Amino acid sequence: MVYPTNLVFNPKSSTMMHIDLNSCFATVEQQANPLLRGKPIAIAAYTTPSGCILAPSVEAKEHGIKTGMRVRDGKLLYPGLIVLPTDPEKYRNVHVSLRKILRDYTNDFTPKSIDEFVLSFDGYPILAKNSMRQIAEQIKQRIKDEIGEWLTVSVGIAPNRFLAKLASNLRKPDGLDEINKSNFLEIYSKITLTDLSGIKARNAARLAYAGIYSVTDFYKADIRTLKAAFSSINGYYWYLRLRGWEIDDFEFGRKSYGNSYALPKPLITPEELSPILSKLVEKMGSRLRRADYKARGIHVSIVYRDWSFWHKGISFPKVLFDSRDIYKKAFKIMCSAPYKKPVRELAVSCFNLLKSDFSQLELFEDVIKKESLVKAIDRVNEYWGDFIIIPARMVNAKGAVPDRIAFGGVKELEEFINNH
Amino acid sequence: MIQKISAPVSVSFTFDSKKRKIFPKWIVWSGRLYPVVKIGLHHTYRQGRILYHVFSVTSKNLFFRLVLNTESLHWKLEEISDGLPD
Repeated sequence: MVYPTNLVFNPKSSTMMHIDLNSCFATVEQQANPLLRGKPIAIAAYTTPSGCILAPSVEAKEHGIKTGMRVRDGKLLYPGLIVLPTDPEKYRNVHVSLRKILRDYTNDFTPKSIDEFVLSFDGYPILAKNSMRQIAEQIKQRIKDEIGEWLTVSVGIAPNRFLAKLASNLRKPDGLDEINKSNFLEIYSKITLTDLSGIKARNAARLAYAGIYSVTDFYKADIRTLKAAFSSINGYYWYLRLRGWEIDDFEFGRKSYGNSYALPKPLITPEELSPILSKLVEKMGSRLRRADYKARGIHVSIVYRDWSFWHKGISFPKVLFDSRDIYKKAFKIMCSAPYKKPVRELAVSCFNLLKSDFSQLELFEDVIKKESLVKAIDRVNEYWGDFIIIPARMVNAKGAVPDRIAFGGVKELEEFINNH
Repeated sequence: MIQKISAPVSVSFTFDSKKRKIFPKWIVWSGRLYPVVKIGLHHTYRQGRILYHVFSVTSKNLFFRLVLNTESLHWKLEEISDGLPD
């Protein structure tokens, strides 16, 4: 394939918009509780000193508190830090309300995570009467009027998705910036390579090896240099991205379902871990079946207290849909772990997904009967609340595996929206 | 300080048909009346078949998380906070 190698910056007007809800979880909590507004707060997976901070508020960030820090470190930086547990339902409701507003402007929008949306206005009649900037201002105002006055979003506008995201990162909170053919060089001269989404220390080192030290160098580099720097087609993709041409307009499909749990107590033996594994499998299994899938592969991974890691995945000839069968396979895989050390985190996932359009009948087992039984149990659990009917081994796992929102993904949000 | 609670609570609730607005006017908890001055957020969630409405509201200097069970139409107070660190 021959690639165009003498491209200029995309001359078309900006039609892509990236919207980012600032400090999402923390801002939503401040919206819900006005007494927390203007104060350094942090949302953490666990509010205990070793809990991980998922979202500091704008005010907490001013004190140097960052995502990924331990609660104890956050409190060292600011002793008055207010730490709250996550409330996923609250954030999902705000996400759905945001979707409702955005749907009024374009049908071509993609949620990139719980707090990020990409909107395309290419060919939409709204652009005949409004500029992209006017649309962005309207959206900002409607978010304040219809969802909450404390919520702010940073909006980026550009000819492609990548530069729209970059523009949304230029000013936080409450930013509104555009990158286009007339200002891109000026903006590139003010940012560093690691400000680009997808370029972190290792990629920056690769680029430095190729003599690229700044975003302007990156933009000016020819294709041959970029291909050599990345040793792949990625060099060409970067060539297009930085010139405002679209290369990121694809979505990854669902490839697996999984659940994980960070254990508060260091458990060691398979017998001790079995109730937790059972609950993880029950959660994963019900999500799998709700989305009308079956799986052919099971994967178990374990992070130990000493941060060592073990994992194993196995594909099976038989399709799996019943949590009891999935548990048996997962337990067997877990027992094959060679280490007997205290466990920090246990995760199970299923892969090789198949749409459950038909069932392979078997000689010695009534698959249809089993499917009907599993469906009936799922219906009872849906009607009365999850985990009304549970395997006996799960009794000791009460309260474990709480509801969580995945980082950087929206696949679990699709499940929420479909079930709403 | 944030305190998790699970207590029945009396709530006076209004619906303005012209503005199509809903508003919890006041609550009575532990023998005291607290007029609601602001709704921070209203959201919903389901537990099985039951839909719950959650109202995050404030009185003059206290925050309340009020939850309405739409099957029993009973209110529960789930959290109070003064907005100060522990």
